[in-house]
Amino acid sequence: MFINKSMTRDVITVRGEAGLFEAKEKMELHNIRHLPVVTANNTLAGIITDRDIRSALPSVFTLQMHDPQEVEGIANLKVKDVMSKSPITISPMNTLGDALLLMHRARKGALPVVDKQGNLAGIISTSDVIRSFINVLGIEQPGTLLCILAEEKVGEMKRIVDAITEEGISFGSILVANYGDVGKRAVYPYLLTNNVARVKKKLESMGFTLLDPSEWSLDKFTDRS
Amino acid sequence: MKKTGFLYDERFLLHRTGPEHPESPERLLAIYRGIEDAGLLPRLTLMKAERARQEWIEAVHSVKLITRFEDACRSGLDILDNPDNKISSESFETALLAVGGVVGAAERVMKGELHNAFCAVRPPGHHAEVNRAMGFCFFNNVAIAARYLQHTWGIKRIGIVDFDVHHGNGTQAIFDDDPSVFYYSIHEHPSFAYPGTGREFEKGSGPGLGSTLNSPVLPGQGDLEYKESFENWLLPAFETFKPEVILVSAGFDAHIDDDMSDVHLSTACFSWMMKQIVGMADRYSQGRVISVLEGGYSINRLPELARNHIEILLGSKT
Repeated sequence: MFINKSMTRDVITVRGEAGLFEAKEKMELHNIRHLPVVTANNTLAGIITDRDIRSALPSVFTLQMHDPQEVEGIANLKVKDVMSKSPITISPMNTLGDALLLMHRARKGALPVVDKQGNLAGIISTSDVIRSFINVLGIEQPGTLLCILAEEKVGEMKRIVDAITEEGISFGSILVANYGDVGKRAVYPYLLTNNVARVKKKLESMGFTLLDPSEWSLDKFTDRS
Repeated sequence: MKKTGFLYDERFLLHRTGPEHPESPERLLAIYRGIEDAGLLPRLTLMKAERARQEWIEAVHSVKLITRFEDACRSGLDILDNPDNKISSESFETALLAVGGVVGAAERVMKGELHNAFCAVRPPGHHAEVNRAMGFCFFNNVAIAARYLQHTWGIKRIGIVDFDVHHGNGTQAIFDDDPSVFYYSIHEHPSFAYPGTGREFEKGSGPGLGSTLNSPVLPGQGDLEYKESFENWLLPAFETFKPEVILVSAGFDAHIDDDMSDVHLSTACFSWMMKQIVGMADRYSQGRVISVLEGGYSINRLPELARNHIEILLGSKT
């Protein structure tokens, strides 16, 4: 799952010499929040976000408090004056996993993808990552999600998969997440069937606990307070 | 009291799904028994099914699906498109009878011979898409009836109420961009139940934007949430839309004793919902309601649910 399989290739870019309003209009036109800034030979010079622009422009509420010279100065601001000059980038041969961790840790909504030569090859954004995960979860196919609590030991997954397979049911996906209790895993099979009553009973008779939906979570068990 | 049609045909039992399949012929027998034991049969106009003409099926489904289904039955296959959809040699004919029966009921309601009707058909229909059998459904009985009402009777506004516990993805997709059909569905939330569609933000598209209304209910919820959704969403929507005819996708699987869902609806709440539907039909649709069986798998509960359903259509239950 290399980045080049998920990134957007036709990147909307802007030049450093462009005015801030031009960048703002481009973002609004294409409904995006990040514009890589490129040089004439398509090497990356920086990135500008809608937030950078908003921070640089005075609010309409305070516009009258600025003197005319200052307002003119703002109107003349260029992309290069406001952009991040050394943005966090990623390579086309990094992986989706790399992008997930990097975007999460650096709190970035998009990363420019830069090849070995320093050319801009694409951009990967939260929306690309979300699309991948919709596909991984299989939730655009008709099916039913279960959540099974399993001991964290070898062979448990096999028992679950075998029990479901014996019922002639296909898998859309199967996810395993850490569960709060030590030594437990929550297994989420997405089954491509309407007919789960029987397999649920079967799993329970095998000693598995089917978790109450209010307990389901793909997220880490974290204290958010 | 109203003139209510009851469509039941023993040939609907010939669609055999094999042992242990929830969508079984016993469901229909339980429904019939409930109505018979309550002494309701003499008060009903009993209807048998006529085989649907292929052009009605083609008003909704692709010729590919029709042919694939017919061929599968002829060549003795036991599933169509997904292992959920078990078939037997008679399934194709049975599905044609189900469609024909529902269309026949719609015709008699439009001719004024009946005020309303309950069609206890198999196989069910609301998951069936244009080109795909899904979730025990092959031909979308309700969607085909809606197209029939549009084409043959020139009906301009059709309201569909789908209270099967599973979202009627097929019906929704078929009328997604059609502003003349208002589709309301209340069902278990798609993150916890088949088929995984029917989220609140699915509201129709193009000219049909706003004429799809989805009300997902969480596992463990029941009467309270259903009543809130009807009162806050369905009743005002139909008050504005003013359907000329109301079609009901009547699935009884949201019942607390039905193991196909985790929604906890009481028998009384099914009656309450049906009274609201009949009330709306009296206000806007000259009483015209054509109710069509979808799911509902609790053999123990189907008799009482069917009996109440019929009594409310007759107007004899208060």
